[in-house]
Amino acid sequence: MNSSPSKFKSYLLPLLVLVLLLSACGGQAGQTPTVGQTTSPSPSPSVASPSPSAAPSASPSASPSPAQVQETPQATQGAASGQWWRDAAQKAGCVDQTIRGVTESTPPSKYAADVLAKQFEQATGIKVELETTSWDQMYDKAIKDMEAKTGIYDFVYTEQDIVYGYMARNFLVDLTKMMEDNPDLKAPTFDINKFTSFIDYFKDPKTGHLYGVPMESFIKTYVYRKDLFDNPEIRAAFKKQYGRDLEPAKNFEEYRQIAEFFTKWGKDHNMQLWGTTVQAASGHPASFYELVETIFPSWGIYNWGINTKTYKATVEHGGQMNSPKAKQALKFWLDMLKYAPPESTNSTWDEVAATFAAGRAAQGWIYGENVAWIATDPSRSKVVGKVGVALPPTAPGVMQDAKSGKGYIGYYDGGAFAIPYSSKKQKCALLWLEYIGQPSVQPEWAAKTARITLTETFDDPLVKEVDQKTGGYFTLMRKYGDLFAGAPPFPFHAQVREVVAPFIYKAISGQMSPDQALDEAAKAAEEEMQRLGYGK
Amino acid sequence: MWSARTGWALLAPTLIVLAVTGLAPFFYVLYVSFFNWNVFSAQAGLSFAGLENYRRLVFDQAFLSSLWITIKFTFWAVLSEIVLGFLLAQLLTRDFPGKAFFRTIHALPLMVAPIAVGATWRLMMIPGFGPVPYYLQQWFGIEYNIGRYSGQAFWTTVLMDVWHWTPLVTLTLLAGLISLPREPFESAQVDGANALQTFRYLTLPMITPVMLTTLFIRIMDALRIVDEVWMLTGGGPGAATRYTGIHLWREVFPKTDYGYGSAMSMLLLYFTIVLSWLLFVAITSRGSRVT
Amino acid sequence: MSKERYGRKLRGNILVYLVWVLSTLLTLLPIYWLFLVSIRSRVQLFGTPSLMIHGVYTDNYASFFGDATFRRYLLNSIIVSTSNAILVAILAVMATYALSRWRLQGEQNIFFWTITNRMAPPAAFLLPLFLLFTRVFKFGGWDLFDTRLGLILFYTVFNLPFAIWLLKGIIDSIPIELDEAAMADGADVKTVLLRIIVPLAAPGIAISAIFSWVFSWNEYLLAATLTSVNARTITTGLAEFVTVTGTNWGEMAAVSMVALLPALIFLALVQRYIVMGLTFGAVKE
Repeated sequence: MNSSPSKFKSYLLPLLVLVLLLSACGGQAGQTPTVGQTTSPSPSPSVASPSPSAAPSASPSASPSPAQVQETPQATQGAASGQWWRDAAQKAGCVDQTIRGVTESTPPSKYAADVLAKQFEQATGIKVELETTSWDQMYDKAIKDMEAKTGIYDFVYTEQDIVYGYMARNFLVDLTKMMEDNPDLKAPTFDINKFTSFIDYFKDPKTGHLYGVPMESFIKTYVYRKDLFDNPEIRAAFKKQYGRDLEPAKNFEEYRQIAEFFTKWGKDHNMQLWGTTVQAASGHPASFYELVETIFPSWGIYNWGINTKTYKATVEHGGQMNSPKAKQALKFWLDMLKYAPPESTNSTWDEVAATFAAGRAAQGWIYGENVAWIATDPSRSKVVGKVGVALPPTAPGVMQDAKSGKGYIGYYDGGAFAIPYSSKKQKCALLWLEYIGQPSVQPEWAAKTARITLTETFDDPLVKEVDQKTGGYFTLMRKYGDLFAGAPPFPFHAQVREVVAPFIYKAISGQMSPDQALDEAAKAAEEEMQRLGYGK
Repeated sequence: MWSARTGWALLAPTLIVLAVTGLAPFFYVLYVSFFNWNVFSAQAGLSFAGLENYRRLVFDQAFLSSLWITIKFTFWAVLSEIVLGFLLAQLLTRDFPGKAFFRTIHALPLMVAPIAVGATWRLMMIPGFGPVPYYLQQWFGIEYNIGRYSGQAFWTTVLMDVWHWTPLVTLTLLAGLISLPREPFESAQVDGANALQTFRYLTLPMITPVMLTTLFIRIMDALRIVDEVWMLTGGGPGAATRYTGIHLWREVFPKTDYGYGSAMSMLLLYFTIVLSWLLFVAITSRGSRVT
Repeated sequence: MSKERYGRKLRGNILVYLVWVLSTLLTLLPIYWLFLVSIRSRVQLFGTPSLMIHGVYTDNYASFFGDATFRRYLLNSIIVSTSNAILVAILAVMATYALSRWRLQGEQNIFFWTITNRMAPPAAFLLPLFLLFTRVFKFGGWDLFDTRLGLILFYTVFNLPFAIWLLKGIIDSIPIELDEAAMADGADVKTVLLRIIVPLAAPGIAISAIFSWVFSWNEYLLAATLTSVNARTITTGLAEFVTVTGTNWGEMAAVSMVALLPALIFLALVQRYIVMGLTFGAVKE
């Protein structure tokens, strides 16, 4: 009998013991702050270079002007009142502690994990382990942690649309109260009043207390190909066909004409060019979101068509989700598919941005956080310098509604870091939140990742530079930001989305007519809200 | 033979590990399935609901159609894999130069993480970025768009599954074929039996236990598929590829409907168990104990 | 060999080769595409999809290797997968032998029950496991959440049943006369196992080891839920490339390619035992 299997086996046993020991120890070591292990907890692929703030142009995060952005030395960046931080950390007993957070792996979060966390650690001695993961996973873990009160995370990313749910369940710590009760922890450089009105979304409507510190915000707006719109040949042809000048669309008929025109132009000239983007992923909530966050409001259907007082969605019960106007809006949006590139029914927010960046669409609705890299990063975009932004097209009366505060014309997206009640290191986490809310850390953060949370950041030269390159995105955001709104105050945001979205998917794939889809969706939404205890 | 105690001693470690990691969660899910528990309902926490969740499930159109398409998917995918895998395994029992090389290459798809499989196929299949729609259009004038056409999406998931898991069938059947005793075949050859006869009267009956085992494992896994399909289509278009694995996942996680999701899990488990029991009976009645 | 037979054999072989070449091409096509994506920059990914290599863009790989966090993920994956494969192999051989040679009470049910563990849809178990890991398996300040040990233990739920099922058929077909012969010579259980069963069942053990290893290596949902930053595996790391501002397909593909390598090496190592089985299968009197 051949003995090498048994040799292999006897070889294996010590190996097994060794490996099991290793892994058991490894598991243990992982719980305590590790010495000599990597201090960069976030798996950011952009941390290829030794000094993260000198992000090379190949870095996936939006770096507008490679090597031109002024690189301020890490240690002093943001340490406006350096000594104060160290003292506060000491008083709170937080020095040498580690706080843990979970967030979505977006450029702003990665920047926070790579750059700001290190600065914070230098300033306070508190280590920040920020777990960056996918959107689904991030929610799942944060919610599980808070629901089960397991205290894993000391701060969680709280997107604007979920904050109502979190507040309804008292998941989050009242930051206002915490800062009142602990004056030692209130940083002099942190001022709530310096934030844009976006911060209001994170305040309790009844008490006005703050529950999260915004760390990113953008608007989803109308983006178009300035180079194509300025091209004389194209302008002439357009004028000839439609009798008016080619300008960014102000209403839906204009939008449709432009879409129709460019799709034909693309075909006639053998270009891979279509007239519009459509975020119509037929199996991913992104399509649902474009419909209810962008299309519906600009047609005059607000809050997803749900009556926020009675929690009803059907027209019969006082809602608007299946109203004639809503049906018209859905039909319009689906109609746009014929002017959109074929990948549109596979497109979430990622792909829409990629489509536009590949030069395949002449206009579209795109999230602001993408506008920066589309306009400036040549390693990812084919339309650098060719981007223009404008307010989205609206139906008659909607703009007036928005200006008077009755409605809104589009989506104001963003998120904050908040502290779960279950956290065991709340004071340390509070210091972190204040740190990232300081004016001094904002400009570079904004320039690199196209997000703004403090009003004064708009005026910073770095930001102004990016603004120019993107055709005025920041200017638009500053001037017209209040015409946009975040998600409606629904504690049942995710639940209603999960029941309504499947009908939208069916409408997109043609399995259901738009009318029927909305009728059934509205009914399903009402049932779900009722089941959850909202709306009798 | 040795005492039964030795037997139990050999079995014990396995039982302990499985009891702890398998039984405990099972009972917990069973427990929660009798409650209403949605993280964001107006009334927090669990509230007793008896059989309400199950009752709702039985009439839940979305759930039932998800179950149906999962069965369809499993049927086609597993059938293709068994047939293909068996053919390839047979070929691998022959001796030809380069065999080891081919065997290794063939096993490659198994090594790719399911989520990466989904991502790879997605990259190949999305119009605008992928080669498949592009060349299908160029060379055959076929419009291939899995975001739009349910039929195409469905068959693409079947194809992806076949690509991914056929090597499992091949290797398992190969191990089985190799372990078959030699002399029946040698004596059959001496007796002058041809290939077809050998196959029908010798190979097939002897390989049946392993074949059924493989069938069983594949069916179980196909019924639970999530990562690859989620990455490829997200369950779309519409709900054309929203198999139960995905459907359940969306109930439990984004929708945080833990109570309903637990009931769904129980029902799916029950369904799988019934199916498996049938197969299991088939295996053990035919299964060779000890020659 | 007669000319006729030689001709037939040649034709047979050519057919075999044809099948294998075709199947190899089809098998490799998606992986080849994955490779192409991994050597392209993001801009190159758009536009006409070409199956040719137009220059190699190495940044996708460079950023991966330069990132200590990803190296840690890789190491975690290796440790978890290997430990699990070994653990499962050992437990499975013992358990299957017991189920095969003894008529233990209720063994049919036990056998079946081990399989039911593998039948449940993964999403169902995430919440209870999470609670188990963070609340129940708690010893002082240490719990099972975000540990490699947790993953190793948990993955046995899926791998052990498969290994047992696979081995059962194979160990069953090892004639009990061999055991009895060894027993008559005075061997104890351990010897019978090591000297008779293991060598004869080597192909099956090899294959179940491969599959346990690969499953653990590629598992995503559970690893993502039950780990945070310390015990994170390479597969969950993949999901991090799916960001809001664009799925970084290039880097994701690069990481996937790198993740393929250890799996391939392991496969190559254990492959030999399948071959060995060829000569061993003959030992049946």
